[in-house]
Amino acid sequence: MNDVTDVLANETFAMVARAALLFGLGLLLAPLASRMVARFAADRFSAHHVQLMRRLVFYGVMALFLASTLRELGFSLGVLVGAAGVLSVAIGFASQTSASNLISGLFLIGEKPFAVGDVIRVGTTTGEVLSIDSLSVKLRTFDNLFVRIPNETLIKSEVTTLTRYPIRRLDLTLGVAYKEDIDRVRDVLLEVADHNRLCLDEPPPLFIFLGFGDSSLDIQFSVWAARENFLPLRNSITAEIKTAFDAAGIEIPFPHRSLYAGEVTKPFPVTLVDSGERRGD
Amino acid sequence: MSNPSNPCWWVPREVPPAHTLACRIGPLMLDVHHGRGEWQLACSRGAEEDASADASLQLREGGLGADGADRFMVADGDPTLTLIPLLADRPVVIRPRQPLFLPRGEEVTLYLSTPVTVCIRVGAAALRLREVASLILSDTWFGPSSREGELCYSGRTHARIDRSELPRRAHRVVTPVRVRNEADTPLPLEKLSLPVQVLSVYGGADGGLWSEPVSLVRDEASDLAQLQVDEGAPDFAGPVTLLSGPREVRARGSLVRAFNVLFGNAP
Repeated sequence: MNDVTDVLANETFAMVARAALLFGLGLLLAPLASRMVARFAADRFSAHHVQLMRRLVFYGVMALFLASTLRELGFSLGVLVGAAGVLSVAIGFASQTSASNLISGLFLIGEKPFAVGDVIRVGTTTGEVLSIDSLSVKLRTFDNLFVRIPNETLIKSEVTTLTRYPIRRLDLTLGVAYKEDIDRVRDVLLEVADHNRLCLDEPPPLFIFLGFGDSSLDIQFSVWAARENFLPLRNSITAEIKTAFDAAGIEIPFPHRSLYAGEVTKPFPVTLVDSGERRGD
Repeated sequence: MSNPSNPCWWVPREVPPAHTLACRIGPLMLDVHHGRGEWQLACSRGAEEDASADASLQLREGGLGADGADRFMVADGDPTLTLIPLLADRPVVIRPRQPLFLPRGEEVTLYLSTPVTVCIRVGAAALRLREVASLILSDTWFGPSSREGELCYSGRTHARIDRSELPRRAHRVVTPVRVRNEADTPLPLEKLSLPVQVLSVYGGADGGLWSEPVSLVRDEASDLAQLQVDEGAPDFAGPVTLLSGPREVRARGSLVRAFNVLFGNAP
């Protein structure tokens, strides 16, 4: 009887030892394999893709060794896989949002609308992309806030990458008084753009007459700048336009309201009252 | 020590401690002061139209009056100051003031000048303090669309074709560009992107600054142009000294570029 128990104990011990060895080997090999893949892929793929490949290899190798360990311990893998299938349905229902984000993340990686370091605008949030992860994209806004945007949102909504192209156009909408000569206004604006060294000569500035506004002639003036000079140009050119308009005597009007009492009505009676004070204007 | 009449402003000079060298190189006004264990720099620019064609360097005793000077701590007390002329770090897009056309089979040599950047080096080890552009050029974009192309500087030139008409200006490097049109259609030279970052600067004894001549040939078959940078300064420049090498290493042999990349979009 003792012999049988000894044999069983020995066999159980050997089984557990083998399983432990397999698991230990998995723990050793998985990081090794992921590191090798990372080293191989480092020069060929983007940092984000390399990170993804590392994770896939790590978890893939670990899963293989875990399955072997379980089989070694006498678990039937078929039953386990079946149970996992049922479980995955249950987990799938419970984690719909996470799964959706995960899959959206894969699409984002495939589509590559932006990369780490780009500046993007999603809805009202504008910021620099810090990382593109499985579930979300992390941004740093310009007022130094950390914003996490779920991948699903990025797939569903409009995303603007501000740093995709080296040059950007700045659109200024201006209004000038009805009495002004539009050709003269155009000449003044083009001269301002010509003198501003941040404003690109090519593509040339664009002057569009938008229409007759309520109180002003509406004009769009668009100038181009190198991406990094966009903000300095925006600040400098607006100030320069104001100065040039003042120097040229071009009026930027504020909204006017004319009160008209109608043809049939009598004019408004206006009475001048001497208040006893004399004003300069 | 300093000789205001010497037109070669790039010759190393000695600025003893507690002295200031006032340099006028075209529109650039650069004051370099040698203090105790430090160098101070102050620079400003005037209008190019008003600038003198010659450079002047005046050594005087005393410090800089301006508060806006930058200080560079250099332990080495060696009084040597070297101003090195360099070309710009990006291509310069040059637009002739009047449109130029080159009919089939014609060849022309244009003399294009671009403003120099001054590299300030001090001490026996020629420590680089700063690079100062003699003239700040406006940015421009050169390419077929707003997505493709490169950021360049924009410059205007008279595109002189007669060498004797060339004014010698202390702050401009002249590049002779030989253009030949072998295609059937006339070649409009409305603008030209001159890759100055692959050119060297040579200085003549008369104070003239030159770069290697560049030649462009528009092929008959395609719109591809061969951009060839010749070795050395132009022959007519006389005895010259190499002052600075190219900022970027140019590809071996001739550079082949699409003509519309060099000349804008030809109609």
